[in-house]
Amino acid sequence: MRGTVYYMKRFAGLILAAAMLCGLCGCGGAPADPDKAQESIQVIAMDTVMIFSVYGEKSTHAAYAAEDEMRRLEDLLSRTDEESQIFALNSAGGQPVTVDSEVSRLLNTSGMYSDVTGGAFDITIAPVVSAWGFTTDSYQVPARADLEELLTHVGMEHVHQSGDSVRLDQGTQIDLGGIAKGYASDRVAQIFAENNIPRATAALGGNVLAWGDRPDETPWRVGIQDPKVPDDRNTLACLLHLTDAFAVTSGGYQRYFEEDGKTYQHIIDPATGYPADSGLTSVTVVADCDRESLDGLPGAGTMCDALSTALYVMGEDEALDFWRNCGLDIDLVLVTADDRVVVTAGLADAYEAIEGSGYTYEVVS
Amino acid sequence: MKLTTKQLTLCAVLTAMALALSYLENFFPLSLAIPIPGIKLGLANIVTVFALYALGPGQALLILLARCFLGAVFAGNMNALIFSLLGGVTAMLVMIGLSRLRKLSVYGVSVGGAAAHNCGQVAAAVLTLGNTAPLYYLPVLLGVSLFTGALTGLISACLFRALAHTDLMKG
Amino acid sequence: MKSSPKLRPCGWDALVVLLVLLLAVGCGAAVWGGNEATHDLTAVISVDGETAETVALSSLSGPEERTLTANGYTLHLVLSPEEVYMEAADCPTQDCVHTGHISRSGQSIVCLPARVIVRLEGGQKDESAPDVVIG
Repeated sequence: MRGTVYYMKRFAGLILAAAMLCGLCGCGGAPADPDKAQESIQVIAMDTVMIFSVYGEKSTHAAYAAEDEMRRLEDLLSRTDEESQIFALNSAGGQPVTVDSEVSRLLNTSGMYSDVTGGAFDITIAPVVSAWGFTTDSYQVPARADLEELLTHVGMEHVHQSGDSVRLDQGTQIDLGGIAKGYASDRVAQIFAENNIPRATAALGGNVLAWGDRPDETPWRVGIQDPKVPDDRNTLACLLHLTDAFAVTSGGYQRYFEEDGKTYQHIIDPATGYPADSGLTSVTVVADCDRESLDGLPGAGTMCDALSTALYVMGEDEALDFWRNCGLDIDLVLVTADDRVVVTAGLADAYEAIEGSGYTYEVVS
Repeated sequence: MKLTTKQLTLCAVLTAMALALSYLENFFPLSLAIPIPGIKLGLANIVTVFALYALGPGQALLILLARCFLGAVFAGNMNALIFSLLGGVTAMLVMIGLSRLRKLSVYGVSVGGAAAHNCGQVAAAVLTLGNTAPLYYLPVLLGVSLFTGALTGLISACLFRALAHTDLMKG
Repeated sequence: MKSSPKLRPCGWDALVVLLVLLLAVGCGAAVWGGNEATHDLTAVISVDGETAETVALSSLSGPEERTLTANGYTLHLVLSPEEVYMEAADCPTQDCVHTGHISRSGQSIVCLPARVIVRLEGGQKDESAPDVVIG
């Protein structure tokens, strides 16, 4: 017969094993709701600061996947990186260059937005922007004759595309800076969808993606910076309540220089070669981000980016006409030089006036 | 503390062994399975347990301190010293206490030591970072210490059995 | 051998295990069960995408200065219990200095040329503050 000591030992061993198992299950489990898990990263890419704030079980993975994608696009679309396809295209000297289908799709899209905006958005404005020194931070006011000469190379008719083979006329240069971050935000939306991210915000400079809603299930609060206070991101002209939406702001205040008491800002009117002087200080274009139709192709984010630049060039009246007649599902917030904030009807319930900002607010339809 | 030549030699050998075990641990990267910074098996604890029983608390502490200092010197990382010291000394104090309780086996002492080691390390992290965030890891670390403690306990038990009939410890 | 310990696990060892378990569960309840928003306001300083330092502002007794050198530029950052600001920098744009003082969770100071980002995280979140600012 076995003694009690034996059973005591057996019992002790069992308790030990059971307790350890509990220990692992109890402690190894994830803390609380996986939707509450959050990853927030900042990335400097494409000449801007990007902030990804991602929620959900795969938040960390999605945030870093987004960072990797930004680096890839930066390498692919940069105008200054000598390894990039855009650089190759610009330095081909009139010879055709075969580009990735991704790049050729973006060029197609650029052409399309140039068409619908009557040339107010134009990726071939690049040499003119460079002449003003906005690409190198060595600002200068170019001679009118020089601008006239450069303008003869501006226009999508100088870009010849057949399939993935692209040829630029001699003297024509392209810069996808006006559309690249919008396209990047489309790709970010797709990465969020692939990782079942319930909610997130992605701020890519002037391009914002509000994915899902806030953790408290109210819409994301997206501020539009006051163009009069370019140095302070915390002074707002307007606040938008957005769920599943892209919002892109273009404004001269984002980059400018002063010479002889005159301010020159970075958005160039392709028609004149001079900085757009349309009475607007910033244009925000908002469009829904439809989770069901994200395929990674240039989408609503790209559209908002291209249109915000174009509408800024057009000015208030022309921009509102465009909004009424374009047949695109977009809404606008226009900030004018005479201290008005003009909001289109679709945002009537989604905008919030900023008290004490000095702006008057009006909704148009 | 006055040490005989034999004791001194033994201390030196055990310190060397502890350092070797710390190094050996790098080949079992537990952090791959459980992604928590600083998580490890704690094999060097075997030496501490052994020294505690075979040589007594004084010399065990001596070995521990030597191991921590030399480990930091070899790693070229003096910042790691506060972590290993705080972890090691906390573990040592708890194990001295537990080993006084004659009813406990080497397993219980080991588990207690491992848990205390983790508490000490988390405390060090909180102190150096000036942030309470590392506290989040403590519950998991304590859970894991049940396993690592049992493992070092098992190895220590084998060690004592193997050496029980030698005269290595006598005198 | 001064004294050999018991070499087989016994019931008393289970007591130690239970004690550790209780401690783990207790700690778990304390740190995970509590309100998640109780983290102190923390400045996260990152250089070239790597987090260089995290400073809990509440742990500071008074203003402290940090000198950050990165990508050929030197920045002087001031951290205090209430706010963070870039006092001086030798970067060409000076955007970081112009950003001014930041004091709320989610705000950040950025120096693009030096690739330095200082961001405030945690702390009491102001429910009416914007989550993102386009600019």
